[in-house]
Parts: sequence; structure tokens; C-alpha cells
Amino acid sequence: MIARKTGMFIALAAALTLSFALAQAQQPLIEGPAHSSAKPAAVVFLYPEQITVPAGKPTTIALHFRIAPGLHINSHTPREEFLIPAVLAIPDGTGARLDSATYPPGADFTLPLDPKTKLSVYTGEFIIQARIVASPGEHMVEAKLRYQACDNNACMPPRTITAAIDVIGK
Amino acid sequence: MKRNTLVISSVLLILAAFAWAGWANWEYRKQAAERLLASSAQAELVPATGDSDSPLQFLPAILGKPAPGFTLEDLNGRKVSLAGYKGKALVINFWATWCAPCKLETPWLIELRNQYAAQGFEVLGVSADDIDRGDPQKLSDEKRAIARFVQETHIPYPVLIDADSISRPYGGLDDLPTSFFVDRDGTVIAAQVGLTSKDEIERNIKKAMGIVK
Repeated sequence: MIARKTGMFIALAAALTLSFALAQAQQPLIEGPAHSSAKPAAVVFLYPEQITVPAGKPTTIALHFRIAPGLHINSHTPREEFLIPAVLAIPDGTGARLDSATYPPGADFTLPLDPKTKLSVYTGEFIIQARIVASPGEHMVEAKLRYQACDNNACMPPRTITAAIDVIGK
Repeated sequence: MKRNTLVISSVLLILAAFAWAGWANWEYRKQAAERLLASSAQAELVPATGDSDSPLQFLPAILGKPAPGFTLEDLNGRKVSLAGYKGKALVINFWATWCAPCKLETPWLIELRNQYAAQGFEVLGVSADDIDRGDPQKLSDEKRAIARFVQETHIPYPVLIDADSISRPYGGLDDLPTSFFVDRDGTVIAAQVGLTSKDEIERNIKKAMGIVK
């Protein structure tokens, strides 16, 4: 009886040890995106995290974003056609749709080496007024902001960030 | 008793099989990670003179090493290889149409290219604009947009597309413009990230050509 219990105990201990070892073996060998410079996002979504709106009725909500110090992004209406504008979108099938978006006007900005050319940009915090129509119920809406950021000397590739908002349609 | 022994043996056998599978998987991923690290060129920004207040200098891992080879398409669909420029001093300039500092730098590159071309110097512009190979219509539109930019800025040197496909060996290309200066032996002798100055670019071109040390 004792031998049987000992055997079971050994088997259990072996199983736990192996499970732990196997779990450890599955850990990523390189953390994060393959060898990226792990730059923080140029733009972050601040708030709101949750809103309650009348279901089926267009409602305007203010989405707050912040741009990292020293960086700027093109406004929604950049002055040159090749520049990538900041654009908000809400994917289909999320329980809320974007009826329209009102963007803040861009501020004039010139690169130190090109004082003649004025760019239209956002810096610091900015707010997009999004007019949404939500269906009844609670929805995790992942709005997308596409932007392209630069500093005074270099630009980063365009990126899209998610603004996750818990929308309750009542 | 025999039944218990059989059950315990079976459990241990199954666990051993799992352990072997886990170990094999871990080994495979370890090797894949090592390959990835080997193929990925790291870069760092350090003060140019060792003084913390001096401007940051771009130090890619490929500095002093042969420029990573590539074959990319130009805007007419022709394949262009780095190997085809053997014996020439080069600037491999990564840029994009949406990059305002790149637009500012381009006229300098054009002037310097025209100035030194007769002495065996060339610029290879590599566009980092997104291209969508899965959608022929989009690809055509994207190529047309790059071509229009090239035409408007009067770029006389070869412009290649799809920088993304070669970004890893060139340090990730997190910021544009990024330029690599390659000497006649194919060695990367200098690199610049971001807008610097025409003088700085010319100094590195002269180094690549062997005119100055």
C-alpha cells in the first residue's frame, strides 16, 4: 500500500515537474517584435474608456489623444498631397459606426532646415470629435487612428493605433 | 499491483514523449531565434564625439562590413541588384514620399550625384512607401504615386521600391531618411539617419570615394 502511494506520488511529482519544464520551454525566446528598437508609440489614446449613448441616435464623443514630446503628426488636412493625414475609423461590425469625425485644425510647423515650407500638424494633446451611432447593448469598439509621425529631422512609417472604448447603447 | 505499475509506466511514457516534443520544439525555436539575431542588424545612436551634448551619430551593426546584398525592382519593374554597382561608390538612400525631411534632402543628393557621377559615384534611392503586391491595381497606383514624386523632384538616379523587404539587414529603418555610404569595395563606411546637412553627406560621399579618409 505504501509502495503504491509512493509510486503515485513520484508519478505526480514527475508530471508536475515536466509540466513546469514544458511551460517554460514555450516562453518566447525573443521578446516583442523581432529585434525592434522598441520605440514607444508616437501617439497614445487617452480617454474615454467607457461611454453611454442613446441607442440608434447619432452622438458626438470627444476622443482624446496625446503625441509624444518632440514629435508631431500630420493633421487631417496636410498641406502637401504626399503627406499622410491623421484619419479615424471604426471597423464594421463592432456595434457602433462612425457617422462623421471632426478633426482639430492643424498648427503651422516648419522644419528648422526649411523655414519656408509650412506643414499642418498636431502636437501634444488633440481631440477628435467622433459622431457615432451605437446599436442597443454593450460593445467593445476598437476605433482606429492612422497617423504618420516625425520629429524635426526624421519621420517614422505610418502607424495605426487602437482606441478601445466600451460603448453602451441604451 | 500490476495494473498500477502499468498505468504509472504509461503515464511516465506519455510524459516523456511530451518532454521530448517540448525539448525538440524549444531547440528548434532557439535555433530560429539565433538565425534571426544573426540576420538582424542592430543599430544604435551614440554621441558623435563621446560628449553627451554632441549630436547623435547613427552606428549600424553593418558599419565596416559588406553592404547587405539585395535585388529590388525599379519603377519600371526592372530588377536592380546591389552587386551590379560593384566598383562604384554608393549612397543607398532610404526615403518615402510621405517623409518631409526626405524631400528636403533629395535636392542635395541630386546635386552631389551630378557632381561626382563622373568619378564613379551613384545614388540608389530605395522607397519605403507601402506597396501591396497582393493587389495589382493598388500596386500600380502606389508605383504611380512614387513615380510622380520622382518626376516632380527630378530624381535622376535609380529609384527602387519595397525597402521593407530589405529593412532587417539594414537595421530596421525605423526612421527616414536613412543613408548608407558604401565604398568601391562594397563596404559600408558611414551611415546617417535623419536629416543632417549637405556638407555632412558630401563628406561621407568623399570618404566612400576614397577622396578623404
